[in-house]
Amino acid sequence: MNAPIQKVIIVPCSGIGKPYGSVSREAAYEVTEDLRPGQTQLVPLALLVLGDEESRSIVATCPAVTIDGCKLACAAKMVQQSGGTIAQEFAVLDVYRRYKDLKPLGIAELNEGGQKLARVLAKEVTAVVDGLITGKQGGENA
Amino acid sequence: MSDFLETTVDKFTFKVATDRSYNAEGVWAKEENGRVRIGLSDFVQQRSGDVAFAEIKPAGTALAVGEELAVIETIKVNISYTSPVNGKIVEVNPAMKDAPEAINQDPYGAGWLVVLEVADWGAERAKLLDPQAYFKIMKGQAEEEVKKL
Repeated sequence: MNAPIQKVIIVPCSGIGKPYGSVSREAAYEVTEDLRPGQTQLVPLALLVLGDEESRSIVATCPAVTIDGCKLACAAKMVQQSGGTIAQEFAVLDVYRRYKDLKPLGIAELNEGGQKLARVLAKEVTAVVDGLITGKQGGENA
Repeated sequence: MSDFLETTVDKFTFKVATDRSYNAEGVWAKEENGRVRIGLSDFVQQRSGDVAFAEIKPAGTALAVGEELAVIETIKVNISYTSPVNGKIVEVNPAMKDAPEAINQDPYGAGWLVVLEVADWGAERAKLLDPQAYFKIMKGQAEEEVKKL
């Protein structure tokens, strides 16, 4: 029998200067700081790219949810390269396609649509986290 | 199966299918059994970015050269593309509604946009670029884009 999952790692896109990357990070902040602070931990993609030992160790021991801003899927690729297990991959574009009225714009500061899209995405990520922690299958997008 | 002309500019590789004609915008036209299939070139899809939505004129729409055929919304921009030939839309790619990412994944295949009924393909084709001519233009456009990075 597998040990219960204590913590889920959230790895967002590092696309600084791009709206979709900003949405991924805003969603990750909301999950890790507001919605499920005790059950999740954000690992910055940059630390994985740099080979930070602590970050690689965390990713290697806990399931990860990745949130990518574009099809390059850097977050998902880096988790895999770091020896991690991806429990669920999210792509901001896929979520936006379901919420066409929430077009993300802005770079340093997301527009209202982008902020709302981040909140929608955060809820979907939270559903997956809850599924992993409780041992049930993840949320509606899992 | 298409053959391709291929060039690599910086870290990007672009393909031009050799079995069709193009306009300078990078919209391709391919004759198939008396009708003409229309789509976007590999360079156009890479330059535009990941496609979020594709709004395409409905079947039955008559188009003259230069009239708007589709508006593509990507993660970077909204772009209007015009018809490279005169004709009437007889089929819209159903994938464009739910899976417009086909434009990125397979621009010369599953990512086609529409099929047009064209009165005189020979005359229309004469106004378009052959693959070699488009390849040369596209290469210049790609080199200009890379300079902006």
